[in-house]
Amino acid sequence: MPAIFPRWTNNIPLAIAILAPIFGAGLVGGVWYYFSPKFTDAGYRPIQPVAFSHKLHAGDMGMDCRYCHNTVERAAHAAIPPTQTCMNCHSQVKTDSPKLAPIRESYESGKSVPWIRVHQLPDYAFFDHRPHLAAGVGCVSCHGRIDQMTVVQMDQPLSMSWCLDCHRNPEPNLRPLDQITNMGWDPATEDYDPKADPARKRALTPPEHCSGCHR
Amino acid sequence: MTRTTATRCLKGSLLGAAVIAGGLLAGCQGNRSDEPPVHLLHNMDFQARFDAQEKNDFFYDVDCPEEAAADDAAAEEAAEHGEHAPHRTKTCYGRAMREPVAGTVARGHLKDDDHLYRGRGADDRLADTLPVQIELNAALLARGEERYNIYCQPCHDYSGNGEGVATQRGGGFKVQPPSYHIDRLRAMPLGYFFKVITDGQGTMLSYASQIPVEDRWAIAVWVRTLQVSRTKGGK
Ligand code: HEC
Ligand code: HEC
Ligand code: HEC
Ligand code: HEC
Ligand code: HEC
Ligand code: HEC
Repeated sequence: MPAIFPRWTNNIPLAIAILAPIFGAGLVGGVWYYFSPKFTDAGYRPIQPVAFSHKLHAGDMGMDCRYCHNTVERAAHAAIPPTQTCMNCHSQVKTDSPKLAPIRESYESGKSVPWIRVHQLPDYAFFDHRPHLAAGVGCVSCHGRIDQMTVVQMDQPLSMSWCLDCHRNPEPNLRPLDQITNMGWDPATEDYDPKADPARKRALTPPEHCSGCHR
Repeated sequence: MTRTTATRCLKGSLLGAAVIAGGLLAGCQGNRSDEPPVHLLHNMDFQARFDAQEKNDFFYDVDCPEEAAADDAAAEEAAEHGEHAPHRTKTCYGRAMREPVAGTVARGHLKDDDHLYRGRGADDRLADTLPVQIELNAALLARGEERYNIYCQPCHDYSGNGEGVATQRGGGFKVQPPSYHIDRLRAMPLGYFFKVITDGQGTMLSYASQIPVEDRWAIAVWVRTLQVSRTKGGK
């Protein structure tokens, strides 16, 4: 009678002993690395219907973010500018540029330009730009060097742990209240102490309790 | 350890290494991609509500009258045959944010204060004073400077010479903005600058939708400040 288990099966336990930890570690590592919003979300860079460049407008020409995203200090939502905002200038400059054809068409027909949304929190999370800007958190802390991007991309993961990392210790991310849109302002080189700033009237209390962001 | 075991282990670990390498090739954190973020569990990421500026295919708005008419005709035809209306062709969308019916006045926004909202005094001429609601102080000037540098500086430049960076590039503006320091504009009442911001002037479009009323007055004061700074105290 031949043996039920051929000889080579003796090696199975050894192979499992060696491979299983490798596989297990690989799996855990893979999930940790690839399932994180740092992988799934950060770096999202949709191709927009108009080749609008923040590097040209906000970087080279030094336009303030609030010229276009003018509701950012007044509303939860930082409005994407309507076509008229572009036409303030583009009725005067680059009026024949083919790159701007969708803008001119939109201005004439009243159709919205179908900009593709880049940053989007899940609907169950609440975010409001106002308290953050009023507290002196700069755009750059959450959106990266937009003024150097020709195509906007998600710079930060916008995950819950990312929000909380700052809420637990906001101090290193604070800047003078008149520098919020200054992308070049670097807390590492500036000597700024938020506690000594007379423009700040109260201590900040970013919420860490669940209902602060899940309301 | 026999030789076969050793080769098997080697093969096994090679296989493992290949799997890991394959995984790594899938990309690194922060890699650029134009694929929308993948969320394995969608849970309640997208709820039955609309965010600001989202599209809504229930409405057509002014967006596409032809397509709306075509869809309505299709729906009518379907109704005649006793069928359900076909799905709307989804090439164009309305906005989830609805505009109020024409003529709607929000509470407290009748804007019947001519001085504050139109820059005109009791005699319906452009006023040269600030409305009573707005007080001239250092904070107003600081606000005016900040807002001017956001909204006007790209074209009129920091000192109001009309040589802002946006007018100098890409072929230049067809109509250059004038300097604020010409006699005609120096003689203008304060309300005139408010009116230009609110209604636009010539080729300059209106900034009323971008700048709230109080800020427009602050900017007007800053424009006057720029003018006065060149006339040794002036008015
Ligand atoms: C000339 C107008 C203009 C200026 C100035 C401007 N933006 Fe934008 N911004 C836009 C437009 C238009 C879009 C939508 C198209 C796109 O994503 O490229 C946009 C998109 C964005 C987005 C992505 C929005 C989304 O869909 O999630 C962010 C973030 C942003 N801008 C931040 C900034 C910051 C920070 C500054 C200041 C450094 C700035 N913008 C200056 C016009 C402008
Ligand atoms: C303050 C004035 C200003 C505003 C507002 C503005 N732009 Fe521009 N834009 C310019 C100027 C000036 C240039 C040319 C720059 C150059 O070529 O050096 C330009 C260039 C461009 C170009 C490149 C055109 C080409 O043919 O190379 C695009 C696309 C563009 N803008 C899109 C937009 C959009 C979309 C908006 C609205 C969100 C907008 N711009 C708002 C001033 C403006
Ligand atoms: C504390 C972090 C933070 C700061 C500071 C911040 N943003 Fe945002 N921004 C976000 C988040 C989170 C979203 C996504 C919001 C959502 O999906 O509801 C967002 C979305 C946006 C959008 C897309 C429209 C919207 O509201 O969903 C624009 C445009 C934008 N931000 C511009 C700006 C500008 C300009 C500044 C600086 C004046 C700024 N942001 C400062 C976190 C921030
Ligand atoms: C870079 C720092 C930073 C990041 C990142 C950040 N926050 Fe905040 N947040 C603050 C600070 C500072 C305050 C406190 C404001 C105050 O006390 O006035 C705050 C306050 C808030 C509040 C309270 C607002 C109110 O009305 O009381 C909410 C809600 C909030 N954050 C949500 C979020 C969410 C959601 C995210 C992630 C998408 C986030 N924040 C990311 C710094 C940050
Ligand atoms: C600073 C704001 C903030 C606070 C405080 C907060 N959350 Fe969140 N939470 C978020 C954001 C933003 C997301 C969405 C993250 C994403 O898109 O990956 C989230 C996601 C979640 C999710 C869904 C995870 C998933 O992927 O399905 C759960 C569950 C959750 N939070 C529970 C909690 C609980 C419980 C607390 C209190 C201990 C809490 N949160 C406090 C901002 C916050
Ligand atoms: C997109 C560029 C641009 C921006 C931004 C801009 N202007 Fe102008 N402005 C112009 C141009 C162009 C003219 C010349 C219009 C004409 O004569 O057809 C002008 C003209 C003027 C005039 C003179 C009107 C006259 O009687 O000749 C005043 C005053 C003025 N602007 C004030 C402002 C103020 C205040 C702001 C900021 C809220 C502002 N402008 C922002 C382009 C701009």
